[in-house]
Amino acid sequence: MSDNGKTTVRMTIDGRSIDAPVGATILEVARANGIDIPSLCYHPGVEAFGACRLCVVEITKPNWEGWKKLVTSCLYPVEEELIVSTRSEEVIENRRVVLDLQLARVPDSDVIRQMAAKYGIHDTSYEKRKDADTCIMCTICVRVCEAIGANAIATLSRGPEKYVDVPNIDACIGCGACALSCPTDAIPMTEENGVRHIWDKDFELVRCEVSGEPIGTPEQIKHFAEKSGLPESYFTKSDRQRKKETAADLARVMLG
Amino acid sequence: MSRKRLFVTPYRCIDCKNCEVACSFVHTRDPRKPSLTRVRSYTLRNDVKSVVLCLQCDDAACQRVCPTGALERDPETGAINRNDKCILCKACTIACPFGNIHFDPTNVEIVKCDVCEGDPACAKYCPTGALVWAEKPIPDEKVEENVEVRTLPWAMTMPVR
Ligand code: SF4
Ligand code: FES
Repeated sequence: MSDNGKTTVRMTIDGRSIDAPVGATILEVARANGIDIPSLCYHPGVEAFGACRLCVVEITKPNWEGWKKLVTSCLYPVEEELIVSTRSEEVIENRRVVLDLQLARVPDSDVIRQMAAKYGIHDTSYEKRKDADTCIMCTICVRVCEAIGANAIATLSRGPEKYVDVPNIDACIGCGACALSCPTDAIPMTEENGVRHIWDKDFELVRCEVSGEPIGTPEQIKHFAEKSGLPESYFTKSDRQRKKETAADLARVMLG
Repeated sequence: MSRKRLFVTPYRCIDCKNCEVACSFVHTRDPRKPSLTRVRSYTLRNDVKSVVLCLQCDDAACQRVCPTGALERDPETGAINRNDKCILCKACTIACPFGNIHFDPTNVEIVKCDVCEGDPACAKYCPTGALVWAEKPIPDEKVEENVEVRTLPWAMTMPVR
């Protein structure tokens, strides 16, 4: 609730009048209303960080006397009387610069290439990074790992040299959420013969005690059992095996 | 207002797989992906047939284990739905004691029964009444007699929400 007890604010996005919940960000409200704002570092499941600047929009207010400014919509909370433009010339130009720079950073990323192409950029106007991987430094992996509570991933170094890594490999529980959540598939993960390989480490997977299917790393299972307070016996079988057993239990109970 | 629920009566199941096909088609629009069904029917030992899908537990293990609040109850349908806060840690798929939440590697997402947002296709295509979407269960002597059926071994109550 806002100071005056209201739970919504009346605002405008691209000429549309919208009642937005207090505390929400411009990005959330726009998307909830079917207005697309592109983003790279935003993930609804983790805290917003404002790293990529692709989500920048233009804002003004009736009493700003024509004065406007660009803000990162994934961080900026909605306000009464806010007037937002998600497609002004400045906004589009900002997106072009962000994507042009990203394309120089990760020339081989299909995701970025496709996004850039939408804004008419097919080749970067900057110097391409040498030996580039596909990491765009959105830090979603860092925040995902934090949300899980493992805190294994960090950003190291500074400026253009900055990169993400796992400084303390013992903290990594091998759950793979970082790799699966990465928007540009920059974190390699493989699973073969019951061994998961991620961040240059091999995790021997725990197998379903009945079917033998690999279900997760021992570290992952221990971590989630502890965090949730659920007994470890909840984490001993594959979903497929459990489902079948549930079906059998239901049948047994029914038939007496 | 009385609300519709999914009534599951496993002994009526004939394992025809209509529910599985309907489920995967509704959720993927791809009839070639039967593996993505959220409901499963089985022919078990001694030729016993049975069907199972998410029980939408009151105190759900998947919800408890989820670090981001990505599993949310829809007050309208009673179903627990996976929202876009999911970070793909797969904890829920291991924790569910009934095996009713899965990882779909093709679309890289967590999938579970959402009762088709209040119009479950499985029930529509079930020819025997093993799955029924209604306000009340179909009267059934066998079920009436068997009081046990309402309290499953895991202190879970039928019908499915
Ligand atoms: S995989 Fe997604 S829905 Fe499941 S526990 Fe992890 S964050 Fe929650
Ligand atoms: S999505 Fe807002 S700064 Fe990246």
